Amino acid sequence: MHSLVEALLDGNQARSVAEARRLRNVGAGIEQIVLEGVGKAMEQLDGKCTIEQFNLLEIMLVGRAAMGVIKELFPQGDSGIPARGTVIVCSLEGDVHDIGKNILKMILTAKGYKVIDCGKDCHVDKLVETAEQHGADAICISGLITTVIPQVKTVKELAGKRGLGHIRILAGGAALKQATAKDLRVDFVADTAFDGAHFLESAVEKKGLI
Amino acid sequence: MRSSDRVKAAINFEPTDRLPVIAQIFAHTAVIAGETIQEYVSSGRRLGECQIKALERYGCDAIFAVMDVNVETEALGSELVYRLNDYPYVQSHAFTRSTNLEAVSTPDPYTAGRMPEILKALGIMRREVGDEVLVVGCVLGPMTLATQLVGMETALYLAIDDPDGFEKLLDFATSVIIRFGTAQIEAGAHSPLVFDPSASMAVIPASFFREFELPRLTQIISAFQSAGASAGWLHIAGPLTPVLPVLEQTGANIFNFDYCVDPNEVLSLKPQLCFNGNIKSLDFEIAEPEDIFNESLRLKDLFSVKGGFVLSSGCEIPPGSKPENIEAMVAATRNGR
Repeated sequence: MHSLVEALLDGNQARSVAEARRLRNVGAGIEQIVLEGVGKAMEQLDGKCTIEQFNLLEIMLVGRAAMGVIKELFPQGDSGIPARGTVIVCSLEGDVHDIGKNILKMILTAKGYKVIDCGKDCHVDKLVETAEQHGADAICISGLITTVIPQVKTVKELAGKRGLGHIRILAGGAALKQATAKDLRVDFVADTAFDGAHFLESAVEKKGLI
Repeated sequence: MRSSDRVKAAINFEPTDRLPVIAQIFAHTAVIAGETIQEYVSSGRRLGECQIKALERYGCDAIFAVMDVNVETEALGSELVYRLNDYPYVQSHAFTRSTNLEAVSTPDPYTAGRMPEILKALGIMRREVGDEVLVVGCVLGPMTLATQLVGMETALYLAIDDPDGFEKLLDFATSVIIRFGTAQIEAGAHSPLVFDPSASMAVIPASFFREFELPRLTQIISAFQSAGASAGWLHIAGPLTPVLPVLEQTGANIFNFDYCVDPNEVLSLKPQLCFNGNIKSLDFEIAEPEDIFNESLRLKDLFSVKGGFVLSSGCEIPPGSKPENIEAMVAATRNGR
């Protein structure tokens, strides 16, 4: 499994996929490859990523390699492995920047979450409807521009009015991470995508809401 | 002391009558003038008028001919969506991974897209203030322009999947930047700001910056200085600490730093460099004037011994910011302790 982890951390998609194939050929189980291969690589990347060492390029390369392995293992899309939780990701109306959202999606998928992508320029009504439709445990909003802040502030209340007060609301991205959770009326403001994932693990999973 | 001389003195670590202060206000100047952002980013005349009005209101030491980050990419063919009260965004990028850059010419700043409007704005502003106040233009840095030309994800994957192709894209971007910035100096800019947020360590590793971005930034700064710029001004918002020690190699005279960088890291650099920053931009929208005033005083005190500092936000002050917060920042340089 060490070669797979190494290939993933190198961000080498071709080598990662080849290694996943090799492991299947020698009898390694799919779940084992996901947990001890992809999961281990994400854990090590997580440990490396602090504010000072988090850069999009490296994360994207590892994420792309991880997605390649997952696609190789589950060509039909459904892993059959119970998801750790269901998370909705989006950029809100007026914000067409989606790289932060896409990074988060890759990381959460690789970590075993079911991720529903509402896309960019998403209206808050559609966001909350989607969360309800999929029985989401959390909503993650990525924001690069400050003009989405008034919308961010409405999400928790809107979710509450629909009986979805249990859903955790997270915010992140270059603009939103300058504010506090209280400022934005959300449950957590993430400095990085891994920061957001940690919150999901501690606040959502451990409380048995998943 | 003239505003422009005040900033120049700070750059040279010479005494000033008071701490220089700049407000990185672009569309905000339209908001307070009662203009739409769409008009501001479309008309050089309107931009110039809004900047002059804001200067009269706030009394800072520089004014900026900055529309948005899409001027260069639009001039090269990217399609933008314009919005009445927000900045435009790219709907489709000018280039793809397989664009043959050898067949593409750098855009003519006097005819392409909104570039001529930027030049017009600079002419208006310079005629109005002369050499009293610093008139600052803006160009993107190579990494940022590359991501604007093909899209952020495409650019980053290209860097790894086709390093030669990526370097060609960076070189092309550098040519565009030099041509546009030189025209800005001819039109009246004392200095074009080189705005390069995609070169921070939020996007690329430090090693990548040193290998690919640093030589090109150096080339750009040198070209602007040869063209008569008063100063080389490098603006990279985001985590920057790992490359602070190599910034000097760019040849720039003043460097912007954002809230992600500890001012003490900047202060401990050897040799000393002049910096502007680093009040958190969002605070101008959500904090209170007292908070901004106190933070301004804190920075003023921190840099009071060494000098080489211009007070400002760490990046653009959002359009919807409270004017009283900008006034508080300026007041700290006038009436502080």
